[in-house]
Amino acid sequence: MTREEVFERLTEVFRNVFDDDSIELLETTTSKDIEDWDSFEHINLIVAVEKEFSIKIPMGKVTTMKDVGEMADIILQESVSS
Amino acid sequence: MNHYGYKDLKPGMKMSFDAVLDEEKLNMFRIITGDVNPLHNDRQYAESKGYRDRVVFGMLSASLMSTLAGVYLPGEKSLIQSVESKFIKPVILGDVITVTGEITDMNDTVQRIELKVTMMNDKGEKVLKGKMQVLVNG
Repeated sequence: MTREEVFERLTEVFRNVFDDDSIELLETTTSKDIEDWDSFEHINLIVAVEKEFSIKIPMGKVTTMKDVGEMADIILQESVSS
Repeated sequence: MNHYGYKDLKPGMKMSFDAVLDEEKLNMFRIITGDVNPLHNDRQYAESKGYRDRVVFGMLSASLMSTLAGVYLPGEKSLIQSVESKFIKPVILGDVITVTGEITDMNDTVQRIELKVTMMNDKGEKVLKGKMQVLVNG
C-alpha cells in the first residue's frame, strides 16, 4: 500500500466519521483543522481507521499522534507488521 | 450493580433485567421533559386512539438502556458513547419490559463495546431494538 492510497482511504474514513464530504487531508492536518475532531470523535476515528485498514493501533499511540501524517505512518507500519 | 472491567467481557455476553413503567414514572418523565402530549398523559385520550391505557414515552423506554449499561453490562465502569433506538411497538402503562443487551463487538484499542439491545413486553412482543457504544473505563 502506498502512502497516497493510505491518504485516499483515510480521507473517506474522515468524511464518514465527521459526515463532511468537503474534508481534504494534508500531512499536517490536525484536530484544530476539523471542527468536530474532539476526544469523543477521536475514539470513533480510531475504531473506523482500524476497521478500514484491518490493523490494531498501539494504545500508546492513540493519544500521542500529532497529525494525519503521523496517523498515516502508523497505518503503514501496522499494515506491514500485521 | 456489576463491576465488569474490559478484560472480563467477551462478545456474545448477555444481560437482562425487567422493569415496569408505571404511572409514577410516566408522571415524573412528563415533569422532567415537559412533554405533555395527551397520548402519554390522558388515559381517555389514549383509549380514543385505540390503546388500552396511556402510551409510555418512547424515550422513557429507551432510557432503560442507560440502566442496562450503567448497572448491568458492564455496570459501574461504563461510559455511554452513543445510543440508537427504534420503537417497534407501543409500550403501555404498566407493561413489564424485559431489557436485554448482548455484546456484539469489542475494540481493544479504545476499550469500547457495542451492545445489541432488545426490549420485549410481557406478551413476548419486541417493543424496542437498539444499539449502544459503551466505553469501559478500567
